[in-house]
Amino acid sequence: MQHTFIEILRRALDEELARDAAVYLLGEDVAAGGAFGVTRGLAQKHGSARVRNTPISEAAITGLATGAALCGLKPVLEIMFIDFATLSMDCLVNQTAKYRYMSGGQLAVPLVVRTQAGAAGGAAAQHSQSLEAWFIHVPGLIVVAPSTPAEAYGLLKSAIRLGEPVLFVEHKRLYTMKEELAVGAELPPIGRARIAKPGTDVTVIAYSAMVQSALEAAQKLADAGISAEVIDLRTLLPLDMATIAASVSKTHRALIAHEAVLNGGVGAEIAARIGAELFDELDAPVLRVGCGFAPIPFAPQLERALLPGSADLVRAVRQIMGLAE
Amino acid sequence: MTLVAQEIPKVGLVMEAVKVVRWLKNVGDTVAAGEPLLEVETEKSVVEIEAAATGRLTQILVQVDGQATVGDQVAWIESAEAHGAGTAAAAPRRAEPKIVAPTPSTAAIPARDGERIRSTPVARKLAAERGVDLGGIAGTGPGGRVQLDDVQRAIDAPRVVAPATQSFSPMRRAMARAMSLSNATIPQFTVARSVEWTELQALRREFAARLPDAAPRLSVNDFLLQAVARALTEFPALNATFSGDAESADARVVQASGAHIGLVVAVDDGLLVPVIHDVEQLGLAEIARRRQDCVERGLKGRLKREEADGATVSVSNLGAIGPDRFTALINPPQSAILAVGRQRDCVVAREGAVVVRPLSDLTLTVDHRVADGRLASQFLARLVAILEGRDWRLG
Repeated sequence: MQHTFIEILRRALDEELARDAAVYLLGEDVAAGGAFGVTRGLAQKHGSARVRNTPISEAAITGLATGAALCGLKPVLEIMFIDFATLSMDCLVNQTAKYRYMSGGQLAVPLVVRTQAGAAGGAAAQHSQSLEAWFIHVPGLIVVAPSTPAEAYGLLKSAIRLGEPVLFVEHKRLYTMKEELAVGAELPPIGRARIAKPGTDVTVIAYSAMVQSALEAAQKLADAGISAEVIDLRTLLPLDMATIAASVSKTHRALIAHEAVLNGGVGAEIAARIGAELFDELDAPVLRVGCGFAPIPFAPQLERALLPGSADLVRAVRQIMGLAE
Repeated sequence: MTLVAQEIPKVGLVMEAVKVVRWLKNVGDTVAAGEPLLEVETEKSVVEIEAAATGRLTQILVQVDGQATVGDQVAWIESAEAHGAGTAAAAPRRAEPKIVAPTPSTAAIPARDGERIRSTPVARKLAAERGVDLGGIAGTGPGGRVQLDDVQRAIDAPRVVAPATQSFSPMRRAMARAMSLSNATIPQFTVARSVEWTELQALRREFAARLPDAAPRLSVNDFLLQAVARALTEFPALNATFSGDAESADARVVQASGAHIGLVVAVDDGLLVPVIHDVEQLGLAEIARRRQDCVERGLKGRLKREEADGATVSVSNLGAIGPDRFTALINPPQSAILAVGRQRDCVVAREGAVVVRPLSDLTLTVDHRVADGRLASQFLARLVAILEGRDWRLG
């Protein structure tokens, strides 16, 4: 039976709440299900002490969750939109990410900050951004961005069990995506990418919702006789360079795709590392596909025009392959 | 003190380009006017160039393997004598001599350095691993960039022997030019006849016994040369060369004085046709001596230009490994060439009986502008009669 991304996230949280008494959920309206209904019904099942509504202050509740984690709980904090994570930044960057280091390893912050990002359905400039790159700049944080419901199920459970501060970035466009969930499947490790589709001619590195665009592009490219390998990064920090290196050493060509703007992005980081570590393997310049450098528009037509899609990936791959438009 | 320019003189009729084979003197050596100074390879042979003045060789301008043409200056000689016109006496002492042909070591490298081959890192890596020269690969990437596939294709490509990009040596070029000229301008016909060697073989053994041990061994070629010389003397109409344009009024046949006969010698890079002059005056022993000398020097590339000129007829004998019979192309401006097939035992009728005799087929190619079929047939018949007879001059 197929389940939506939201249903599968709910199930993962439900199971983790049942499995470990230290796990608890907090966030704005989570007791009522949250803005997208991910936590619906969990307060009734596990009690309002473990699924707690908070005031509308991301700064305060991030500090609260960090403190709870330091004191032995395993909080799962929901930040409604990653756009609001700017308010959590001081705590996340200066406190949450630093405790283990500054305490000489005596303290740990087993905190998962769930948030959702990306553009879908006209949420406009303040509710559509992809800001994950800001967090990969911070030593001490883990950044995870799942690409499918089943992936999210396993990765969220692994994140909760990791014992480190994890920013878990969900994409709002994936929330309605349905997928079968393999019961009893092994949980994917944090920090390990996966090959979403094997190929031989070009490596397309993507994460979150862009993995779906990459798979669409790979299908179109296959029709044109080009075999694209799609890597789903799953974890943006730390980067799984081993998987990237194995793939690029095979295909000798790389494209990095994300919905975030290119400036200072995850793609820039990966491209730089490929250039430095895999220079002798390259047969073409490393290209990137990302969002145009502009705020996400409210008008659906403009939003669609700005966001990168599979057609952009196909075009970029053809350019890498040296094929004329 | 005067600086004298050493130039390449015009030695042969068609000699234009030469290659310096070696310098016989070093810079600083004293040379005497007329003394051999350097060797150059012309179209047909290696020629010694004599020093233009007596003095000291001060500068070599064309190194070994450098190319020059007739009239080019190849060295400076500092002469103590005062020279008149025709030397570079007027040249200022410190004048920078014009470099005629730069040496390969300074000419080739800078041009190559200027090129930057656009290529991808992985293409370079593979090329380096497999010892493939990137410069030899046409890149199919943007801007002609050499990509991995291009290198892989170059490696996978069947090792076709590169189409002969080797430039013609002067000798090969001369051969090609002479044979093209022959085939294009000389109307040639052939007459053929068998010759029996029984008598000649016996005489050859007999003569060999009479010659001193140190003398060169008589070969069939020596008999052929003497026989051709005698036949030419008897048929002077064939001892001639055609000159001028067949369609113009100045077309004429130039009669030769004396029998000058070319002997075709195969060498590594083509053919040499050393000419033995005035053969009709020579005995077999002397013919053998000159023939051996010419061939030896020809094989070493040391024939003088005049030793390859002046013949009216050539003899081409491919020897024991040759074909039964073959047709040769006339070497211009000669008027005939005799192709000698290999000697073999044949069944023949002699005085009503079937016998086995050593025979060869002689094929005479003749310039139809100089002679007709009847003359050619008579000449060939006479030649066979001489070869089968006992009338030879040994000494």
